Amino acid sequence: MSVHSDKAVDTKQIKKALAKHKNKMKAYLSHCMHCSLCAESCFLFMAHDKDPRYMPSFKVINSVGSLYRKRGNVDRTTLEKIKKIVWKSCVLCTRCYCPVGVDVPDMIAFARGICRSQGVCPEFDETGAMESWL
Amino acid sequence: MIVGHRKALDEIAGMIIDHKKILIVGCGGCTSICLAGGQREVDGLDADLRAHFEEGGGHVDTDVFTIERQCNADFFADLDEMIPLYDAVLSMACGAGVQFVAERHPSVPVFPTLNTDFVGVDRDVGWYEENCRTCGDCVLGDTAGICPVTRCAKGLFNGPCGGTRAEGTCEVDPEVPCAWFEIHKRLKTQGRLSMITKVRPAREWVNQTRRTVIQEPYKERYTK
Repeated sequence: MSVHSDKAVDTKQIKKALAKHKNKMKAYLSHCMHCSLCAESCFLFMAHDKDPRYMPSFKVINSVGSLYRKRGNVDRTTLEKIKKIVWKSCVLCTRCYCPVGVDVPDMIAFARGICRSQGVCPEFDETGAMESWL
Repeated sequence: MIVGHRKALDEIAGMIIDHKKILIVGCGGCTSICLAGGQREVDGLDADLRAHFEEGGGHVDTDVFTIERQCNADFFADLDEMIPLYDAVLSMACGAGVQFVAERHPSVPVFPTLNTDFVGVDRDVGWYEENCRTCGDCVLGDTAGICPVTRCAKGLFNGPCGGTRAEGTCEVDPEVPCAWFEIHKRLKTQGRLSMITKVRPAREWVNQTRRTVIQEPYKERYTK
């Protein structure tokens, strides 16, 4: 549930944020070789029977990657899906490693920031019901 | 988890009265979880301050922004660019976060909006209880997981004091269970009652001065 669930998504604001970090994000997204070495660095991946949805690369590709693929033209439903990935599948413990230097926590934090800018973030009261592992 | 609660609105408003452009910064960590300083609370404080100043016939110029953690430099890139544009910052982080922001931006006043209370546990939504006072000398292994610093009114490390009431409550406050009575009960349940007679030497109260921890694998990196 969003903090501002009735407001339209400001795609211009999202595009501006994506443009600001475009070079870094494009580099990261293109560097990913899908080698899956990041997987075992994630304790959530290991704790969930190596469910590939918890692989850091999966999380990045389906959050920031999704935002870039859609060029920021996302609706609230998409942001809610991204919210599940970047908050429920990641605690930003920053322990993940990547052999080619992709800064996964930076990407997850960036995706969270985009979600926050549109009022999409986890609730920790009764309405939230485990929206985040934190 | 660090737990805090928001200061009175009057106190917060008084901090920024001489400043024109204010940035309210939320924290996505502990203070989000304890419903004190997360994104929703940031929006709430923003609305409260505007209403407060308008009621007084005045005006406050505020913006809001939330970062994932105010205690970790990795999350400051965007915020570092924003802060110089403001006259003051209202931080909704714990005391650690407030100081971290202030350290990174010494020329901008950074005010705390929360009172940081304790390290504690979630009992339920909105209900948090102190469990740890970060004394730096944990004896929970000897006391069956019951902390004599937080739970004993006298902070005794060799208890009980002899003032335990018949019903097992504290002589200082009859509403509070005697920590050492509880420790005794639990050690007995665990078959470890002999621990109760272990005498602990006078402790160094190390949490009275600022501490630093460098984990063993990193000692070579940070020490010369």
